[in-house]
Amino acid sequence: MQVCVNGETCATRAVYVADLIRDQGADPARVAVILNDAVLPAAVRATTRLADGDRIELLAFAGGG
Amino acid sequence: MKEDPFLLGGRVFTSRLLIGTGKFAAADVMIHAVQAAGAQLVTVALRRLDRDRPHDNLVEPLLALKNVTLMPNTSGARTAAEAVRAAHIARDLCGSPFIKVEIHPNPHHLMPDPIETYEASRVLAKEGFVVMPYMPADPVLARRLEEVGCASVMPLGSAIGSGQGLATFELLRLIVRDARIPVIVDAGLRSPAQAAAALEMGCAAVLVNSAIAVAGDPPGMAGAFAQAVQAGRAAFHAGIMATGEASATSPLTAFLQGENRPTVGDQET
Amino acid sequence: MKTTTFPEPRTLNSASVAAALACSAPDEATFAALLHADPGRHLEQLAQRAQQITRQYFGRAIALYAPLYLSNFCSGGCAYCGFAADRRQSRRRLELPELTDELAALKAMGFEQILLLTGERTPQADFDYLHACVQAAARVFHEVTVEAFPMSVAEYGRLADAGCTGVTIYQETYDPEAYARWHRWGPKRDFAARIDAPSRALAAGMRTIGMGALLGLADPLAESLALYRHVRDLQMRYWRAGVSVSFPRLRPEAGGFQPPHPVSDIQLAQIIFAFRICLPETPLVLSTREAPALRDGLAGVGINRMSVASRTTVGGYRDASPDTNRQFAVSDERNIAAFCAALCQRGLDPVFKNWDAAYRSEGTTCT
Repeated sequence: MQVCVNGETCATRAVYVADLIRDQGADPARVAVILNDAVLPAAVRATTRLADGDRIELLAFAGGG
Repeated sequence: MKEDPFLLGGRVFTSRLLIGTGKFAAADVMIHAVQAAGAQLVTVALRRLDRDRPHDNLVEPLLALKNVTLMPNTSGARTAAEAVRAAHIARDLCGSPFIKVEIHPNPHHLMPDPIETYEASRVLAKEGFVVMPYMPADPVLARRLEEVGCASVMPLGSAIGSGQGLATFELLRLIVRDARIPVIVDAGLRSPAQAAAALEMGCAAVLVNSAIAVAGDPPGMAGAFAQAVQAGRAAFHAGIMATGEASATSPLTAFLQGENRPTVGDQET
Repeated sequence: MKTTTFPEPRTLNSASVAAALACSAPDEATFAALLHADPGRHLEQLAQRAQQITRQYFGRAIALYAPLYLSNFCSGGCAYCGFAADRRQSRRRLELPELTDELAALKAMGFEQILLLTGERTPQADFDYLHACVQAAARVFHEVTVEAFPMSVAEYGRLADAGCTGVTIYQETYDPEAYARWHRWGPKRDFAARIDAPSRALAAGMRTIGMGALLGLADPLAESLALYRHVRDLQMRYWRAGVSVSFPRLRPEAGGFQPPHPVSDIQLAQIIFAFRICLPETPLVLSTREAPALRDGLAGVGINRMSVASRTTVGGYRDASPDTNRQFAVSDERNIAAFCAALCQRGLDPVFKNWDAAYRSEGTTCT
């Protein structure tokens, strides 16, 4: 399916959000997930299914501010 | 240094130099600067994960430093609602109750929005965050933020990155005079002397970012700032000499009578 | 409230006094230093600095107001007051038609700011009476303040809604022993209730409060320090409101009350200068209880608000009735024209109106 991750459309075979995070190479403990404008708690990432057209923002701390 | 604890959000700090983490050339330079500064409060932003370098993050090395508490900021938020959401995400990510409410919607000058900042601070303070609002140097706003439960106020010295130092000195003086929470000057400090001046006039601490990040030798500059902050605080406690004001007008107390009537000739001028 | 023990004076050499005078962020220690400075050597310096600061914060304006005693009914037992319940005098209160005449007379004299006074609560002069008087006065004057018995937050709120912009209430003395000695009976014996009254008024949203100690009842330096602390505490907590400080001084009365700690003119002046230097934006008030020469000397040198042409009997403005049955003797009996001329001659600017009632909407609270 097609999903939009951090503003870029891409194809993915991930079933759950947790899989997508792993595919992106991100450390799950250090990343926050916003799924379709709602914050997705870490506890439910492994059980939340992705759908075609989902918009995902992966946020992490960075220098700045 | 003698007993001079810096109390913030129910915790005791000994360093009065807070560090911002933007504009550093590389993460390891930033870490060395934080160490050289002896900083205990470091602010980080929430950004989209950089997928080209997914494991190159700041948090691990920062948390590995002893005595460092993360203070996430909400830079990027343009409204109170965005800032509140960023605060929730940040707390989820690192567990720190500290949040620097930073809302500057206009990229030309990065001035903080007083209204959105007040609203976000009000909400977050109620939710139990240790709220540190970055604000214009407005004495009335400072009192209002104190009233809604902020742990400190962070008035700007001058615009972010401008290096104009304590352009708001007179306003800072009013804020310091009336505040019952720590006043932390944030933004615009260019040199250690300016940081010392802020502490001398009664500010509790300073937050420095650009001046250290873009220095030729960031850790060296960070160490210099740390020394300046200590010097300023020591001077504040030691009692700085006041500037004299000469006055030469005709005598005002001649009308007073009594046993120890002050005669003009006895009076010191 | 903290105790009124005085801090040990530091070695007050000239350098200490000079530092206190030049301090840009005066605090309690600065205030104590100025109170302790040797007037023989430093009073002129204090006066110069007080004048400089008065000019900086208030310009050359002297705000003028008149006191109007609504009634001399009083249930109280203050040993030093002409209205105490055991003093023989005819008691009366202004009924509404009389009050209207008095208000008109004061307005015709040029006043825009008046202070309504009454004693401790009595059935004849109770809250409802005061409330009605405030309503009447607020229709005529731009600023109506009240000096009366301590009230509850709710009562102060109702008074504010009726048009009262400020409340004056003197602690009299911050020394609990002296307080108990001189307040012989009645509700006024409650030290805590009285000391809390200004903050109740502010909590109710009253725009301004007037404070003071009755100089002479206890050690004046200790009283001044306690008063300073009280003022600072209220200014910090109620930062939207205005606080002013008055300096009522007990003069020895022939055959009457002898103040146990009489305060000389020089001491009074030094206290006023210390307050002005350390509380630069706080209006400081001097009444007609003081003599003309002293008032002229202090106007603009610390003092920026004064009463003029006062009557301290009930009413007294409509007719030039004899000034008997007074709360205290008026020493400065100059009429408005004479007093204003004296002020102008000293380069000062008498101001009758500082506040426009048109800014008030429903009520006058500032919360």
